Amino acid sequence: HNQASTPHQPTTLSQQQLQPGRELSLQALLDMGFTDTQADQMLEQATQGRAGQSEHATSTLMVLFVLGFKPSNVLKVLEKCPELFCVKGTHLEQRMDNLRRLGLLEGGLQRVVIHYPQILTLPLKRVNTVARFLKEKCAFTVQQVTDILRDCPAVVQYDLGQLEYKFQYAYFRLGVRQSEIVKSKLFRVPLDEVRGRHCFLERRGLYQTPDKKGQTLIVNPKLNDFLAVPEETYVTNVAMATQEEFEVFKKLMAREWLEYDDCQERDMVA
Amino acid sequence: TKWAGSLPKYPPTNLALQHFDATYKLQLGREWPSVRASMLCEQKYGALVNNFATTEGFMAHLQSQGCQDFVSCTVREGAQERLQTAASTHGNTSSLESVVDDQDIVPSGLSPNIKCLVFPRGDISRFKPSRPDKYGLLGYYLMDAASILPALALDVQEGHTVLDLCAAPGGKALALLQTQAIRFLCVNDISASRTLRLRRVLDRYVPKGLLAGDKLRITSFDGRKWGEIERDTFDRVLVDVPCTTDRHSVMEEENNIFNRARTKERQRLPQLQLELLLAGIQAACPGGVVLYSTCSLSQLQNWYVVDRAIHLAREELGISLQVADLRPLTQLFKDTFNFAPDLNLGQLVLPHLTANFGPIYMCKLQRLN
Ligand SMILES: C[S@@+](CC[C@H](N)C(=O)[O-])C[C@H]1O[C@@H](n2cnc3c(N)ncnc32)[C@H](O)[C@@H]1O
Repeated sequence: HNQASTPHQPTTLSQQQLQPGRELSLQALLDMGFTDTQADQMLEQATQGRAGQSEHATSTLMVLFVLGFKPSNVLKVLEKCPELFCVKGTHLEQRMDNLRRLGLLEGGLQRVVIHYPQILTLPLKRVNTVARFLKEKCAFTVQQVTDILRDCPAVVQYDLGQLEYKFQYAYFRLGVRQSEIVKSKLFRVPLDEVRGRHCFLERRGLYQTPDKKGQTLIVNPKLNDFLAVPEETYVTNVAMATQEEFEVFKKLMAREWLEYDDCQERDMVA
Repeated sequence: TKWAGSLPKYPPTNLALQHFDATYKLQLGREWPSVRASMLCEQKYGALVNNFATTEGFMAHLQSQGCQDFVSCTVREGAQERLQTAASTHGNTSSLESVVDDQDIVPSGLSPNIKCLVFPRGDISRFKPSRPDKYGLLGYYLMDAASILPALALDVQEGHTVLDLCAAPGGKALALLQTQAIRFLCVNDISASRTLRLRRVLDRYVPKGLLAGDKLRITSFDGRKWGEIERDTFDRVLVDVPCTTDRHSVMEEENNIFNRARTKERQRLPQLQLELLLAGIQAACPGGVVLYSTCSLSQLQNWYVVDRAIHLAREELGISLQVADLRPLTQLFKDTFNFAPDLNLGQLVLPHLTANFGPIYMCKLQRLN
């Protein structure tokens, strides 16, 4: 029987153990309910980058427990984002409150933190700027902004110019409405991949930009069906091509865009 | 007029695409999306090696980059395969000599002097422009590698007289000259300005001595009249007609035949092509070979023109023609080019992203009387 994997009950969290300002110790971690292995991993995480000496380490753990995470999830979050050890507990709480205000309620909030803990390292201002940008510049509804934050929380770190470009690409070039954009989880897909998949379909005659009345001569595949699927599925079922063709196409596109950008730069200088 | 004003101002490339979508989807079926995407992407070139220039330097360099002469390397491999099948069917090596003769190694009609370097399948590297050697001659001519095929298929033999009826800007004429087998070459193009370009190309690639009047003649006649000027003369005639130049038409707005103002001209192309081919047939000597080619996928400009020409040559000119089988050639080059399956007349190179050459159509006719 392996002692190390015996879980300790997290019910003994006393005020003292979780007191802010205390350095992490093996014993404290075991008391919080981490198994021996988890506690070791946690300490290792914490000592890398000296985060363990951070006066905020314990309060970070506390906040995550309060959010309802099990020790294993707390460990997962901190492994993904050890920077959280160094964020002040009150800041973490403010940031979570802010996310709740943006519509991420329990369940949604946990999901976002576990998938993208980096969101808690960003100042309120940054997150709110992006949310406002999505609402004002891209005309998403409040609910849609919440959905985007939940499905693609990494948007909060995107460059706004690039975010706008991607949105406009979808809205004008692909001719899709906001609701379809949200459904397709567009913001999860890198721009090159969006353009690559779209242009390949377009050149094969399988996608058309709708005219001013929103009409096309052919039935376009739904954004969701060609973006949110693995590449292999996309190539065989949607583009009805071979992997070999798509590989060459991607190489050609990369060069086309590079040279196009070069041209634009030269024009701007001229 | 009222009509002109209400015509939508679509760019000619769009009109070309719409036209092709309507016609080629029917013609090519499931292949069309692949061909379409390929024509809308950067095409691949081949470097026709100029035997008249100093070639060692750049040949070695390009080969180190992965380029290969698709003509000689496939011919060599083909011969090797035949050797192997011969060996395996005969079971011992002693019988090899009796099986392999010269004809077996170089399939008849493939000049060993026409060389064209290409990057391998799927490789999108580009060629740098050719630089002059110490005599001022350029080392290679960049062209669609599939354009070499009509020149190869024409099957020029030692001492032949050859007519290139629509020759400008001169890529295929230059390939024909590489054979170094032609006794007399006549290059013609109706357009004076394009003939000038052709002359400049020849000057930059071919030594002066070979461009002398007793070896080469450059003219600017209407090719349709050739049958009236010079009949039953040439051993070989290349009829590389003006066509919808499909790749150009979907990519370049300038000089685009799908421009509304050129609709009439475009609609008259098959008739012009037919007349040019008939003139070429008349210019060939009995037993001579005529090769018809276009860079379009259009059935109307390809097999339909050939079919009509065969019919009219027999009915109105009393000339019988035999269609030559180009399958051995396509078999040989099937790794380099993507040929359309089962054409009932001639052969067609379909553009494909992994081998983005063509479109090139060709049909070879032999004059029987
Ligand atoms: C496809 S291009 C030839 C390309 C050339 N064989 C090469 O490989 O570089 C067709 C040419 O036909 C010429 N042409 C058009 N009408 C003609 C006519 N009636 N007689 C002779 N040439 C003609 C055009 O000027 C054009 O240069």
